[in-house]
Amino acid sequence: MEHQFVTELECNQNIVHKVCTLYTNDRDSHKDLFQEITIQLWKAYPKFRGESKFSTWMYRVALNTAITLYRKSKKSVPTQDYESVIFKISADEYDPTEEQQLKLLYNAVRELGDIDKALIFLYLEDKDYREIAETLGITEVNARVKMNRIKNRLKTILNP
Amino acid sequence: MDELELLKRDWQKKDKELPKLSFDEIYNMIWKKSSSIVKWIFLISIIEFALPHIVYFLPSMSKSLAVWKDLGLGNFLLFTNIVQYSVVLFFIFQFYKRYKEISSIDNAKKLLYNILKTRKTVKYYVIFCLSLIFTSFMVMAVGIYLNEDPMAAMGYSYRPDIAPEKLKTTLMATVVALGVVVTLVMGGIYFLLYGILLKKLNKNYKELMDMDI
Repeated sequence: MEHQFVTELECNQNIVHKVCTLYTNDRDSHKDLFQEITIQLWKAYPKFRGESKFSTWMYRVALNTAITLYRKSKKSVPTQDYESVIFKISADEYDPTEEQQLKLLYNAVRELGDIDKALIFLYLEDKDYREIAETLGITEVNARVKMNRIKNRLKTILNP
Repeated sequence: MDELELLKRDWQKKDKELPKLSFDEIYNMIWKKSSSIVKWIFLISIIEFALPHIVYFLPSMSKSLAVWKDLGLGNFLLFTNIVQYSVVLFFIFQFYKRYKEISSIDNAKKLLYNILKTRKTVKYYVIFCLSLIFTSFMVMAVGIYLNEDPMAAMGYSYRPDIAPEKLKTTLMATVVALGVVVTLVMGGIYFLLYGILLKKLNKNYKELMDMDI
């Protein structure tokens, strides 16, 4: 069972890394969160019955863990970390206006609440509303309403 | 919203920049929790072993050790030291072995077995330490009983105005009472120190059991 679990997690580890990137600010916390999510996934694994895709189930557990930990330690709220690996703009497609916009956008996303972050994360992962709703355990309508609110918030942040 | 589309496009390009963990690295994460607890047990036992030696260099401590010699218990002290050192070293080695075993474990059944083994080792270690403390005090009481002039042996020139027999009894009673108190206090400290670590280990054990592997 362990082998199967680790193999699946190894293939889908990007999901966990992305969640960690969104909810943490430095390499060490990223590592800690990754480990915590791994442990939670492993604990929940026997209950995973394959009703949903492995990746959908992973999104759910990973986000839940991140949100729970985030709530426990409100201390690590965004410290404008432009240097973090994921938010660097690749040099080959350098475009000053686009870069500036992306910087602002990522920064705005960092300032969102924990649940909104989860929502925008799934949106960025190109999930449709049905899947977003299923992963977060809310209704589809609710997901749409929330997403609209976030979009408006981001808009205000970008164009004050 | 154009900006969000821009963000989405950029986000999806990030995949290649993400760290990549190997199968083994992920595998080890699952077991790491227990090994770090056992590592603490191992480290604490070493600190506990080293601490008395640091204390020994304090002058008042060396003086109190001289009392043992004057009470005619020098041989007993030597003997207990040899026993204590070998047994404690044996335990530290055991803890180290448990730590090594748990760090390199590759399945849950073995981990469960090892947690049980560690729990037992800790239990025996604590029982040994506490009995050693208690026995030392009891032997000191016997030493006082056998000594002609316990007050002088203990470094006091002051002679209280009571019968020597009564003085002996009082001294012995004090040492025995002190022995009980020190053993209880040490028991409390051990209970706190190892109790917390063992509780965590037990929790880990229960979690593993819940996964019914």
